[in-house]
Amino acid sequence: MSEKITIDPITRIEGHLRIEVEVANGKVVNAWSSGQMFRGLEIILRGRDPRDAPLITQRSCGVCTLVHYLSSVRAVEDAVKVKIPPNARIIRNLLHGAQFQHDHIVHFYHLHALDWVDIVSALKADPQKTAALADNVSNAPWGGTVYFKQVQQRLKTFVESGQLGPFNNGYWGHPAYLLPPEANLMAAAHYIEALRLQAKAAKMHAIFGAKNPHLQSLVVGGVTCVQDLNPDRIAEFLYLWKETQDFIKNVYIPDVLAVASFYKDWGKIGGTSNFLAWGDFPESDKEPDSLFMPRGVIMKRDLSKVKMAEQDKVVESVAHSWYKGSEALHPFKGVTDPELGEYDTKKKYSWFKAPRYEGEPCEVGPLARVLVAYAYGKKEIKETVDSVLKQLGLGADALFSTLGRTAARAIETLVIGQQMEKWIMELVENLKKGDKKIYQSWSMPDKGQGIGLNDVPRGSLGHWIEIEGGKIKNYQYVVPSTWNLGPRCAQNKPGPVEEALIGTPVADPKRPVEILRTVHSFDPCIACGVHVIDPESNQVYKIKVL
Amino acid sequence: MPQKITILGIGNLLLKDDGLGIHALHLLKERYEFPEGVELVDGGVLGLGLMGVLTESEYVIVLDSIKNGGSPGQLHRVQDPQILTRMRAKNSLHEIDFLETLSACELLGKRPRCVILGIEPKEIYQVDMELSKEVLSSMEPLIQLVIQELNALGIAPKERLSCV
Repeated sequence: MSEKITIDPITRIEGHLRIEVEVANGKVVNAWSSGQMFRGLEIILRGRDPRDAPLITQRSCGVCTLVHYLSSVRAVEDAVKVKIPPNARIIRNLLHGAQFQHDHIVHFYHLHALDWVDIVSALKADPQKTAALADNVSNAPWGGTVYFKQVQQRLKTFVESGQLGPFNNGYWGHPAYLLPPEANLMAAAHYIEALRLQAKAAKMHAIFGAKNPHLQSLVVGGVTCVQDLNPDRIAEFLYLWKETQDFIKNVYIPDVLAVASFYKDWGKIGGTSNFLAWGDFPESDKEPDSLFMPRGVIMKRDLSKVKMAEQDKVVESVAHSWYKGSEALHPFKGVTDPELGEYDTKKKYSWFKAPRYEGEPCEVGPLARVLVAYAYGKKEIKETVDSVLKQLGLGADALFSTLGRTAARAIETLVIGQQMEKWIMELVENLKKGDKKIYQSWSMPDKGQGIGLNDVPRGSLGHWIEIEGGKIKNYQYVVPSTWNLGPRCAQNKPGPVEEALIGTPVADPKRPVEILRTVHSFDPCIACGVHVIDPESNQVYKIKVL
Repeated sequence: MPQKITILGIGNLLLKDDGLGIHALHLLKERYEFPEGVELVDGGVLGLGLMGVLTESEYVIVLDSIKNGGSPGQLHRVQDPQILTRMRAKNSLHEIDFLETLSACELLGKRPRCVILGIEPKEIYQVDMELSKEVLSSMEPLIQLVIQELNALGIAPKERLSCV
């Protein structure tokens, strides 16, 4: 006997995602992922000035403002054939690196941790024992019995006020939660500290970003923040960077290891087969050779056969998506022609298209990047991965899992963060030598095609632009969540999340926390936006109407 | 008088009326000069990314689209105790949206006082950067509502001289 479970919407993500699974004998045997929001930005961009694209695509998502901005600027630069100066490249790397630091911390603590950490159990913890545990596993600057007592009291007040807020919709008390109350309390305390820290990390963007919270300092040809290239501003950046880096080293990494040590079974659950990374952080104008996080593709988990990834091998299928047409097309030929339809998993069931690389679905994101770098033998990544595996007593095959994905995210946060210091120093050296150039002028061609590839916190991102008559003729972008959460393609091959969910144990179909673990481990972000304070769902409360 | 006041426009500029808070913010910036201690912030749909702005403010005037079962263009004002009940009853699609972020500020013990001013939207799912007619005609009353709100806090923004 099998049973179908639908989770709609998946919470603690941006956007509206529906996941349906079929469970037999306590395990998932089939899964469907459905994006429930239509993103028709490509349509709005047609006919506009190419320079508008970065500022408009920046608004397509609340979480990923910088990254769309960046890929879009790079696509236009590729089309108009301009090379940016080294300082502009470094500043972009620093802004993008800061985005990784911020997003991955928020993901682990605020979007993912509650799948592993039981907040209600934390209320039962012994603060003294918690203090001892925390001393043992982390080098956090806060701790002690009094501290944990205070945190516990604060949580209690919060929960008792009926205002669970961020802790709403949890499956508290579920048997799949394995941490003892003390570990739960320690993690809950760090959840709160991470809230504080992320607000600071976000400020790194304000320094070279010109405007907080929406950056404005990237332009086609370079960056514009010349007034911020002074010792005070750079020192300010360095200070925020250091505080964030300390948190990652002393709290985030130890917390991931501590939590993972209770959930080693998840090193066998939630894996996929193929991995794609466009790579990112160019350290010279030679791309892809100089990318600090390298570009590559791995098929069928074969780390010995990592290959260079080529953008012309990408197509998007719409066979199971609510779009007209049936041909799988490269983004340059891409069409966005929506066709409203019923949700039917045998036919069409998602607003996502299904991207394929050489016809195969590929996971993108931290695990793909780390595996590609690991397979190339990239020193910084290899050392950190091996050390994490050793501390957990796991082999490299455990990387292909939900646990591996979550660990990979922490690992790259640390490694990219460490590299940022080198970029800051390089910038300082250039300025010392009197090189203050941050912009290269260019002129708009009548015709052109450009590609902007990046690897952003959630995964591989590509923007494709075609210019004609100095205006945008066609614009397509393939985002990380489309790769990871897309539906089946014409060949009926499941998308990565659909594949990853197969085999997941489900103890209680009414409270499927195990499914959330794997789905959240991909850090879904659904080119989001609808953001309305919506009291329709809570009509019992009257709102004063003017 | 609160020392630090933030006027925060939120919403998605690309989704028609969802962006009305940002449109209103730009109008305010164009038309008025604000004294020191009043900051205008374009919050977009940043969610948790707004925690810095929120925790460092004493009083926040939020401009947003508010669905309240009224007719498009209707003005709404939601004040503090009601915001709290709203947070309790919340069942939004976004786990980390504005109310959630406000609630996270509370967890840090740093939630600013807050009022939400807005307009009932007509269309928020359509990809379009222009406001609907109904909302557009309520922009001026919304701006005046913000000014009244500031006046009540003892602040009088100066209207910029317009060059006709």
